[in-house]
Amino acid sequence: MQVFLQNWIYLIASVSLIGVGLYIVLTKENIFRIIVGLNIIESGTNLFMIAIAWHPKAVMPIYTATDHLAINGKVIAADPLPQSLVLTAIVIGLGTTALALAIGVKIFEKYGTLDVRKIKEAEK
Amino acid sequence: MKNDTPKVFKSIFALFVVAIFMIGLFYAFVSMPKGWGVNVNNRVSRLYILKNVRTATKWLNSGKFFAKGMKPLRAEVPYKPIKFKKTANLEDGAANVVTSIVVDYRGFDTLGEVTVLFLAASGVMMLLFGKRVKPKRKKTEPSLIMYVGTRIAFAVIFLFGIYIFVHGHLTPGGGFPGGAVIASGILGLFLGRNGYSPNHAGLKVFESLSGIAFVIIGLIGLFSVKSFLANFLPTGIIGNLYSAGFISLIYIAIGMKVGSELAAVVDSMIGDTKEEWS
Repeated sequence: MQVFLQNWIYLIASVSLIGVGLYIVLTKENIFRIIVGLNIIESGTNLFMIAIAWHPKAVMPIYTATDHLAINGKVIAADPLPQSLVLTAIVIGLGTTALALAIGVKIFEKYGTLDVRKIKEAEK
Repeated sequence: MKNDTPKVFKSIFALFVVAIFMIGLFYAFVSMPKGWGVNVNNRVSRLYILKNVRTATKWLNSGKFFAKGMKPLRAEVPYKPIKFKKTANLEDGAANVVTSIVVDYRGFDTLGEVTVLFLAASGVMMLLFGKRVKPKRKKTEPSLIMYVGTRIAFAVIFLFGIYIFVHGHLTPGGGFPGGAVIASGILGLFLGRNGYSPNHAGLKVFESLSGIAFVIIGLIGLFSVKSFLANFLPTGIIGNLYSAGFISLIYIAIGMKVGSELAAVVDSMIGDTKEEWS
């Protein structure tokens, strides 16, 4: 059980996060909920990339933890490149979320509602 | 889909799409080679792990390890382990490999990332600027404990944020998490007192100056090492605080920029106070 969890827990968690977020984005009609769904998708994607870079015996890619990144061709540190990409993705996700929320505030000020269907009817 | 489609159909369709995505991701993950099960020497060159492109290029050019018959070299390259606090003058002396990728090798990417964050923050400020003051709601005044406690906590949080971005090349963390920690301290100040508002002009000047500092550090690299954002300082012994050349300088600039930017975003999001055109 422990080995199974070590190998698959991150994959299962990330894929189910992406699934939950996608379901929310596809079915909900409130703009705020759609933004929350996009955020959940973002978290799932970040976790997926980290899970790709990681394996159960990996140490952190810092030279306090290890003197080598690989020994005899066997990687013993987690791959640092996806981690740096995720570092970028987290910051950009923060910026886009803030901008989306600001636009949501403006939409609420104009239409008085956040429901996409009511906004579409008000446009007609 | 039209408005009159029953909700059940929509849910089933959404579940179908979600299931396709999840199965695809699962398959992509399972069919990917995992780190421990693969001999890296069969996939990438040892030069990749050497973390020193200059030496590797020298070896390549001297023809010492690459035979004339073009035999790409893997296990043949001598590999010296990097000893913490002992090895000196590496190409990039950061102990944290993620930091050396983010700031040094992909520094231009990080500049673009900072630009994206700047654009998002200025977009938020532009959209929420000059919001009308809403009719006064009854608000509970924070207690004295809250007022004093957030101010004491702000000092500690500020110091911790500075620690995170100064030690970005040694420990996990860096400019972006450090800036976020500082902004969270400022959020605490908002909670501690009604009608609190930071100095807008100060935040903007701070943010612009640190952004300019980033570009200037890059330009110094352009003029001294002939490459934009090149490491122009000696890298020192790996693991020391004064090592890794310009990485700590850039992380200080990024940390100050992100902290002031996120504080401005928090300020315009809370938007409780009356804003005036200045």
